[in-house]
Amino acid sequence: MADLAIAPARDAAPEGAAQLRHARMLSVGARCALPVALLLGIGFLAPLVAIFGYAFATPRSFDVFTSFTLANFATLFDTTNTVWLSFFWSCGLALLTVAILAVVAYPIAYGLNLVFGRWSALISVFFVFPLFVSENVRLYGWVLFFIKNGVLDGTLKWLGLSGGPEVLYTPGITLFGMVYTYLPFMLFPMTLGLALVPRDLVDAARDLGAGRLFIWREIELPLAMPGILIGMLLTFVLAIGATAEAKILGGQSIIVISHDIEIAFTYSQNWPLGSALAVLVTFFIGALTLFALSKLDLDRMLGRR
Amino acid sequence: MAHISRRSVLQGMGAGLGALAAAGPLFNANKAFAAREKELNILCWEGYNSAQVLDPFRSKTGATVKAESLTNDPTMINRLRAGEINTWDLINVNNPWARKVMLPEKLIKPLPKAEFEPFFAKMMPEFKWPYKWAMSEDGSELIGMAQRFGPYSFVVNTDKISRKTAEDTGWDLFNDPALAGKYGILESDDWNVFNIFIIAGIDPFKVHTPEEFTKFEETAKRVFKGAKLIGDIASMNQALISGEIDLHMTGGTYSVSPARADGHPNLRGITPLRGPLPGGKGGVAWIEITSTVNNPNLSPLALDFLKYVQGPEVAHTVAFAEGTFNPVAQMGNKACFDLFTKDELDAIQWDSLQEEMDRSAEYDIVPDYDKALDLMNAAKRLRG
Repeated sequence: MADLAIAPARDAAPEGAAQLRHARMLSVGARCALPVALLLGIGFLAPLVAIFGYAFATPRSFDVFTSFTLANFATLFDTTNTVWLSFFWSCGLALLTVAILAVVAYPIAYGLNLVFGRWSALISVFFVFPLFVSENVRLYGWVLFFIKNGVLDGTLKWLGLSGGPEVLYTPGITLFGMVYTYLPFMLFPMTLGLALVPRDLVDAARDLGAGRLFIWREIELPLAMPGILIGMLLTFVLAIGATAEAKILGGQSIIVISHDIEIAFTYSQNWPLGSALAVLVTFFIGALTLFALSKLDLDRMLGRR
Repeated sequence: MAHISRRSVLQGMGAGLGALAAAGPLFNANKAFAAREKELNILCWEGYNSAQVLDPFRSKTGATVKAESLTNDPTMINRLRAGEINTWDLINVNNPWARKVMLPEKLIKPLPKAEFEPFFAKMMPEFKWPYKWAMSEDGSELIGMAQRFGPYSFVVNTDKISRKTAEDTGWDLFNDPALAGKYGILESDDWNVFNIFIIAGIDPFKVHTPEEFTKFEETAKRVFKGAKLIGDIASMNQALISGEIDLHMTGGTYSVSPARADGHPNLRGITPLRGPLPGGKGGVAWIEITSTVNNPNLSPLALDFLKYVQGPEVAHTVAFAEGTFNPVAQMGNKACFDLFTKDELDAIQWDSLQEEMDRSAEYDIVPDYDKALDLMNAAKRLRG
């Protein structure tokens, strides 16, 4: 569309002022995109700009864009500040979530592609269905399952056993909650990735005498890698910002970084400090994502180059 | 927080963040300037935003009534500071804020005394005119109306710790190593600041010395480390009922009444017999004050609503609005009191309400709250 719109300008030199104006006008495509661009500008960019502005404002003030100080960042990098602990927990739990999900989701993705056959669609729905229920409701459901005298403990006692394990309100159960919540976000990109592997290649390798492990390592895994890595990246980015699991299941046995940001914006009423922390986390995730994507040449992986 | 001027805040609004944060009612702000006769926006603690309270007012007036509930006072007040003064008509926060902060900062405006003074005559004796927290510091202006109140210290499961032991031992329960891992902490950080000070044997509502802060920090680390969980009211009640915890810090009628009404009278808000608060008082109590916002285009319905909630039936509905059940000052009026059933009175611990209020200091502002909160947040991070 863009080509069509500027075609007359290219064909002949603009003669009159009207033609010149026409040549300077936005292409049809650009004009069509204006509402979306505007919406994104307001809805996506404006809050980011505001947060960025607040990060440099006087601590515990609302002097955004009228004051400039690095005091908020200095506070965060102060060696006595324990905020790094929250950062450590968020990163650690996100990495563990990704690692566990990679192992858990792979066999399911494989099954959805090659084993479950006509049941695949139904099984996929089972994995999607929980997403229709609010995350908090599902997590409270798990609390009722694991709590003392709850579903698990009560049932085991009813059966004459000593009861369930005490797992609630620990970092371990927080990790469990994160693995549970983010499973679909790893599973579906991975399933798509595995669907990209041509079966002919696997058959050919098998005909040539390659073993199962060899085929998996040399053919399946590299060809499914775009899907796997996108799943990992998506899960990591979501998991590093997770709060509900640590709050509801974990009983705040650990404080995660997004919770620290929330405290700064609520009880502390220190928007500049919360913003500085949000900016740091955003930059960290952004840098990590860009680094991962720079190492990830999707075209080459997909064999298009 | 004290250095914030309205001008700077309004400039901050230019960033658009405030507009986004207030997406709902704020989008109607311009329209609102045209005509506010049929529109009312209330910023409140949970309860006033319930359909039981608002729907009859909506049908009576045909107005669009919007209410947003938040669960801490500083956030609500900063919403006004951040420019939302043009959005809200009523603000409902704990007692000291209207008199000590919002009126001096011109965030709220006085009420017509002649119209509202008669309501105080029908309130419980301690709220009689001129009620301190409803008046300006100099006593010349009426700045808000009182309704819900309650003692708020800690909650125990009396099957595990008797009421007598809890009241007598008081805050030292949280200093007892034997109870580590058996208590929870309600996620209500302003109150937790008070309570950590009290557990450390220090009056929270004064300026603190470095030595007192050292003691505060040490206490915060120990108390937070020993907590089995930190969570919201629902999590605390659930953990008490299931037996995960035996008691939790920061709590009282406001938090435990839903569980008591639900058939768990063994859970009980406790006000210690003694403590480090002025006069040797052992607990802290809150009183909500609802004020009219200094909105240049205040809805005329704001005053109507304040009168509406004073009525015996509506006051009873406010007391038993969804989520939390509380005594109301209007129970001083027999017509209102008679609406409360025996079970409802039991849920709000009516039997001990008076003595608990007598043993409680009134909620106040901690002068060095920011420093204490920073220390407490750092202590929380060391839990893991």
